[in-house]
Amino acid sequence: MVFLSLSRWIRSRGPDRYWRVQEVLKHARHFRGRKNRCFRLAVRSVRRAFVFATKARKAKKRIMRTLWISRIAAATREHGMKYPALIHNLLKCQVALNRKVLSDLAITEPRTFKSLASLAKRRREEGFLVALGDKGEPEGIFSRIVHSQFPDATLNPESVAA
Amino acid sequence: MTMASFTKAAQQWATFCRSWYVIDATMQPPGKIASICSVHLQGKHKPIYHALSDCGDHVVVLNTKHIAFSGNKWEQKVYSSHTGYPGGFKQVTAAQLHLKDPTAIIKLAVYGMLPRNLLRRTMMQRLHIFPDDNIPEDIIKNITEELPQPRIVPKRLNEYTQEEKESFPRLWTMPEDYRIK
Amino acid sequence: MTSRGTPSRFLKSVLQNGVGRYVCQLKRLSLVFSKDSANSLGVREFIEDGVVDFARQNPGIVVYVAPEKCSIPKIVAEYLNGTVKEEPVNRKTSEEIRQLIKKLSDQSGLEVIRIRKPFHTDSPSIQGQWHPFVNRSPSLRVQRFVKEKSELESS
Repeated sequence: MVFLSLSRWIRSRGPDRYWRVQEVLKHARHFRGRKNRCFRLAVRSVRRAFVFATKARKAKKRIMRTLWISRIAAATREHGMKYPALIHNLLKCQVALNRKVLSDLAITEPRTFKSLASLAKRRREEGFLVALGDKGEPEGIFSRIVHSQFPDATLNPESVAA
Repeated sequence: MTMASFTKAAQQWATFCRSWYVIDATMQPPGKIASICSVHLQGKHKPIYHALSDCGDHVVVLNTKHIAFSGNKWEQKVYSSHTGYPGGFKQVTAAQLHLKDPTAIIKLAVYGMLPRNLLRRTMMQRLHIFPDDNIPEDIIKNITEELPQPRIVPKRLNEYTQEEKESFPRLWTMPEDYRIK
Repeated sequence: MTSRGTPSRFLKSVLQNGVGRYVCQLKRLSLVFSKDSANSLGVREFIEDGVVDFARQNPGIVVYVAPEKCSIPKIVAEYLNGTVKEEPVNRKTSEEIRQLIKKLSDQSGLEVIRIRKPFHTDSPSIQGQWHPFVNRSPSLRVQRFVKEKSELESS
């Protein structure tokens, strides 16, 4: 007779239930009060925590974006402009920086942000001049009014291909 | 100023330092004053803003005695409260409240505009409201910037000089014998 | 998995900067095995055909071969920063052990935990971080206020 499970018995490290409880308590050790040591309480709060964590993974993206926007708005107002004007005119200038980068620039590189703000401001003024029918861009002077590189291609790719 | 001229601690202190603003409420709508105050008390005018980092500034509001409500708000706007006792529901109009305490309207307006969280009371402590120009000297020393008023302060007729009144363009001149009803 | 419940750190290199040549962080590798146990079969095979080549290719790593009376063979890896890692190689084949040793020698010895952001810098700002006086005019319209106050005192 071959007794295969004997070696397993020797190395048995406690009942299964103990390890199952530890699996739950592992996630509850930083909780406050009895929740971090009593299984009955811990298992509920761990469950809640996992539900919150799942929801938060989605919500985080939205929360971060609102934070970036409020930071950019604050930084823009320092330069006498409003947030929508800045974003809209940077888009027109084909500055492809997202809100995260813009808000990081506003904090860590304020001079760079200032130049971006003044670029948007100038573009805005030129846009107003064009809308009013004045000659927005003087002859022979570089202007920031950028036209799309492929005006037809963006609208109708088949026509270019044909 | 470059990074090299700063130590990291000094940089941190500079970034999160609190500054003091002053705003004159003479002939200004209380709601507009309150929204400016709430932005600065929360720190939403700073690019480092974060709701939990307590980066708000101090705001000093002057001359709240002379705020200006539009429309018939002085009579019609009602401030309600309840003492907690039976029959303790109090309602006062804006005019009555203003007579009782000339800082109350601004204070309530700002309090209502701040976020409903644990930092709300802390932010209110950084709001300094004065019914007139008499400010303690130690507060004046802190002030670094005056916030622009949301409305242009209108000039009263008696504040114009006689010359300005004379030179004001007129559509017609009153006859000598014109009787004002 | 909650983010607060798990340990985490920022991205960092063991030399604290990104410059300089590559230094293998594994300094010592001990193969502990039994001479006759079936569990150690793979380790014995690896020692026969792979360990000398490995030691020759990696002169920076000291390799110890330690035959002991043990039922579970293991590989003990010691790193330059003092971390000691024990990997049981029970019933593993020679090829699996080779891959494991490759992995151990590539690791830095830092704890394998969640990294908060995939990027990190010690000096985030070149131009100097924002502070309340960066974009304010030096005259600081306080002048007007001081004037008002002085008028007030005179009156």
